[in-house]
Amino acid sequence: MIKLAIYGKGGIGKSTCTANLAAAFASLGKRVIQIGCDPKADSTINLLGGTPVTPVMDYMRDRDEEPTSIEEISQVGYGGILCIETGGPTPGLGCAGRGIITTFSLLEELELFEKFKPDVVLYDVLGDVVCGGFAAPIREGYADKVLIVTSGEKMALYAANNINKAVKNFEDRSYAKVRGIIMNRRAVENEEEKVRAFAESAGLDIAADIPRSADIIKYEDMGKTVIEGDPECETAQRFMELAKKLIAEDEAND
Amino acid sequence: MKNVSKIIPCYAADTSGVCSALYEFGGMTVVHDASGCNSTYSTHDEPRWYDMRSNIYISALTETDAIMGNDEKLIEDIVSAAKDQKPEFIALCGSPMPMMTGFDYEAVARDIQGRTGIPTFGLETNGTHSYIDGASMAFLAVTKEFVRQCPKAEGIGVNIIGATPLDFPWHGTMDSMKQWLSDNGFSFICSLGMGGTLDEIRRAASAKVNLVVSFAGMAAAEYMLENFGINYVCGVPFGKGFGDVLADYIREAAAATDADCVSPYGMSIDDVECGTDTVIIGESISARSLAKALELDMGIGARVVCPLPTDDMLLSENDSELYAEEDIKAYLEREKPRTVIADPLYRYVIPDGTRLTALPHFAFSGRCFQRDMKDLINIDIKEFFK
Repeated sequence: MIKLAIYGKGGIGKSTCTANLAAAFASLGKRVIQIGCDPKADSTINLLGGTPVTPVMDYMRDRDEEPTSIEEISQVGYGGILCIETGGPTPGLGCAGRGIITTFSLLEELELFEKFKPDVVLYDVLGDVVCGGFAAPIREGYADKVLIVTSGEKMALYAANNINKAVKNFEDRSYAKVRGIIMNRRAVENEEEKVRAFAESAGLDIAADIPRSADIIKYEDMGKTVIEGDPECETAQRFMELAKKLIAEDEAND
Repeated sequence: MKNVSKIIPCYAADTSGVCSALYEFGGMTVVHDASGCNSTYSTHDEPRWYDMRSNIYISALTETDAIMGNDEKLIEDIVSAAKDQKPEFIALCGSPMPMMTGFDYEAVARDIQGRTGIPTFGLETNGTHSYIDGASMAFLAVTKEFVRQCPKAEGIGVNIIGATPLDFPWHGTMDSMKQWLSDNGFSFICSLGMGGTLDEIRRAASAKVNLVVSFAGMAAAEYMLENFGINYVCGVPFGKGFGDVLADYIREAAAATDADCVSPYGMSIDDVECGTDTVIIGESISARSLAKALELDMGIGARVVCPLPTDDMLLSENDSELYAEEDIKAYLEREKPRTVIADPLYRYVIPDGTRLTALPHFAFSGRCFQRDMKDLINIDIKEFFK
């Protein structure tokens, strides 16, 4: 099973990359689960035609009880992808990190993996590794590998470096390892050189190079990924290449 | 607000269950919690504290440690204490604060084991679950770590699984259990619980049958069934009649060639008329065993209300699993039993006209009624219930 966590600076395109990667895996015939780990709960919206799924935390807040089935807190989207959002507390209150851990415990109790039998699980995680809750997706039993989304912008690279260091801090704990970088281009001057310099200094591979494209915005406005909207476009093809590469690596490991 | 106890107390929590289960095994139990809370786990919920040494530590978690996720300080403290104390194992469990900060018990336990070479378990308690859950995970962890395949003992060797002072009187219970085993021609192998030693537990697989005396022992018994083919029987030999029935089940379980669990309740409850005159409130295996004992020794039909984690298999169809004070109160007001057998603190939720026969339960009322706790094993229970 491929289990990936996607991290990166807020607003850098993690959800876009995750949803497109999920769609690419699905279009290659894989059973995919995408779990959005962000109180905003918008990770999977473009796999669902723009209609959001009820986040787990919203379900629990509204009903004051835990769900008893996966169906109550998930929706099946493009390519049969099972979409789940942890959601979070009311902004300004509670503890969003704890919400992620609670959701993961709940999904275990509901035997998500045993019942859905996924080939691929993607965790789309809020911004940085800010607390224990946001490290939960890289704990043993969850993601095996981390992909860091960054552009050539200074603050995005700064966040990427912090994430890489945070993951390395957990080396003794059998947590996930950083697989590499998704370079999500933002038309920054000398962008490729900057990202490559960071990757080299951190000893990381650039796993994918996603061009800046109006297609992404166009199809997101329609509640779609580019994989769904225009699978032949260059952006879609880059996600397909990444998915194929990760599948090949997983098969080689098996 | 659901499940709020306005009148009666709540049962001891999962953290206390871990401490109680591991108390006598020679390990080091560390609770990740604020300084001062050790008295909850080790005195309020622990009758052995003043008479028997055990290494139970509190991490003295501070606000700053919690904010900063200062796991290294905890790890270094445990490693340092372990070097001094040289425990057989280290168990790390927790409280509400580490739960909120997402403390990763298993990962930290692996780290400590790597640094000390001492078997270390991370037991994810958070103080919001029952002592049954905590004791259950502790017994399972010890079983997985220390029980290995070994030759069978002569005759019918029996392990007693899951007894803690939270459910049974500390003084006398294990002597009574061993005497009952001996009276029936069984040999005692080990107690995975109070009165047990790690050396005996290492030889647990030499037993032919596990006697599960509390639901806290069920997970360990299931593990030994799957991994060593040891059948298990659930029940406490309360009274004479049920003691005989239980002994027959143990003989049957010992003779069974296929690894299949034997439960006294599933096999005998259908022919029991469960009256509504008497209701027993308590831990499922103890309470149902007492119901059987009352039926067989005194001809009294009794129902069980179980307010603790259990399995349907252990209850009859007329029994109830009720966790909330309001539900228990409503049940008793609806059923209007003549007698309720329960901890004395249930007195405040039973309806007028219903008599309470007090059976103190340490996990519920702590030391309040400790002196009045009753050892009903292998005795004529008519003496107690006359």
